[in-house]
Amino acid sequence: MIDDEEIIISIRDLNLFYDENQALQGIDMDILRKRVTALIGPSGCGKSTLLRCLNRMNDTIDGARIEGHLMFEGEDIYAPQADVLNVRTRIGMIFQKPNPFPMSIWENVAYGPRIHGNNDRDELESIVERSLRRAALWDEVSDRLQESAMGLSGGQQQRLCIARALAVDPEVILMDEPTSALDPIATQRIESLVLELKERYTVIIVTHNMQQAARISDRTGFMYVGEMIEYGSTKQIFENPQMELTERYITGRFG
Amino acid sequence: MQTVFHEDLRGLSGSVVEMGELAIDLLRCAMDAISTCEAEKAKQVLEKRKIITTMDNDIEEDALRLLLLYQPVARDLRRLAAILKIITYLERVGRYAGDVAKIALELGRESKITKIMSIPYMGELVVSMLEDSIRAFAEGDIAPIAEMSQRDDRVDHLRYAIFRECLAFMMEDPSVIEPCVNHIMAARYLERCGDHACKISEKVYYMVAGGRMEIR
Repeated sequence: MIDDEEIIISIRDLNLFYDENQALQGIDMDILRKRVTALIGPSGCGKSTLLRCLNRMNDTIDGARIEGHLMFEGEDIYAPQADVLNVRTRIGMIFQKPNPFPMSIWENVAYGPRIHGNNDRDELESIVERSLRRAALWDEVSDRLQESAMGLSGGQQQRLCIARALAVDPEVILMDEPTSALDPIATQRIESLVLELKERYTVIIVTHNMQQAARISDRTGFMYVGEMIEYGSTKQIFENPQMELTERYITGRFG
Repeated sequence: MQTVFHEDLRGLSGSVVEMGELAIDLLRCAMDAISTCEAEKAKQVLEKRKIITTMDNDIEEDALRLLLLYQPVARDLRRLAAILKIITYLERVGRYAGDVAKIALELGRESKITKIMSIPYMGELVVSMLEDSIRAFAEGDIAPIAEMSQRDDRVDHLRYAIFRECLAFMMEDPSVIEPCVNHIMAARYLERCGDHACKISEKVYYMVAGGRMEIR
């Protein structure tokens, strides 16, 4: 049984529509604190849409409408009084393609704390170093913090984006296929990093690479045409899934 | 959707069934050799045993290749894991068949002991256990292995009965010590083959149902 204390995000009967099209159907799921949760499923199954619901990224899409409840630490992030900026600070996001800002490495990481009003140089220094260390990038860039972030390799850029997300001290990190644009070595580094991150953060990751989900996640949700078909421990999903559809998808019999 | 991987996996499963049939066949021949004292039969077993070893290596290599290339999950992963274990058990059965055949050669000619012993019956029981475990694997059905534990108990019981029987013979007539010891050994080999049928059944259960079942 899952203890309530362990649940950081609780999703109940979540439906999402893009105009008339329903993209998510009655999603129920509890996300556990300081665990890695992977979302898998064929293209268009709604896994990225679900991920984007978690920090209200779908708000920016015209015609998107949400029903149901999405409780983060006991508070509904879709309640009228919810503070979207606060939600996005506490729930950070990493995208498929690394998207560093065209500024120095240091500026990239200090950007978030700065727009949150932190201008104390010493404090920013320590945030930048701590974030880069936690993103496993410090050793590679500590001697060139003032150089442009655009000069970093793809894998380094992605870790920089992770450092940038960590700088505002989030509780949850959402990752949307964070390694799909990276080579195998850079991918391995990000994967090890995810395993380190879960000591402090809750990570939710969308991935097309099932072996990646099996390697780094504690729990896995399999989605298909907007529904959560099966959600459980990663071991269970990949060794002995209970739903025929999950079985057929992960063994490559369709999709 | 049928992929190259699934075709290969099906082919590999077919090879496991073939290996199982050969191992069972060897054990049956070795048992015949003891009953009929046909040295020729026993020699055939020892010759064919080498094929089992080759199959063990070939199947293992193919299974590892599939693991490496396709990183299978769920039922496919369970099937490959089961295959890797099952071929080890079958290879052992093949070796025991060889050991039984060697006993047949040593016994040489028919003795009064051969007629009394319940070894042939024990052999039939073990062969049927092996057959059912391989059938369960081939058909992906756990029904044939449902009673494996009870059948294994019967085999264990027979081994002990044979041991006691031989003990009585040996005390009565020291000239039968050699054939009796050989029979005790044969019973021991058969009992081990029964254990391997149980281990194969456990793996088939895991492959089919996903959970663990212990046969003791």
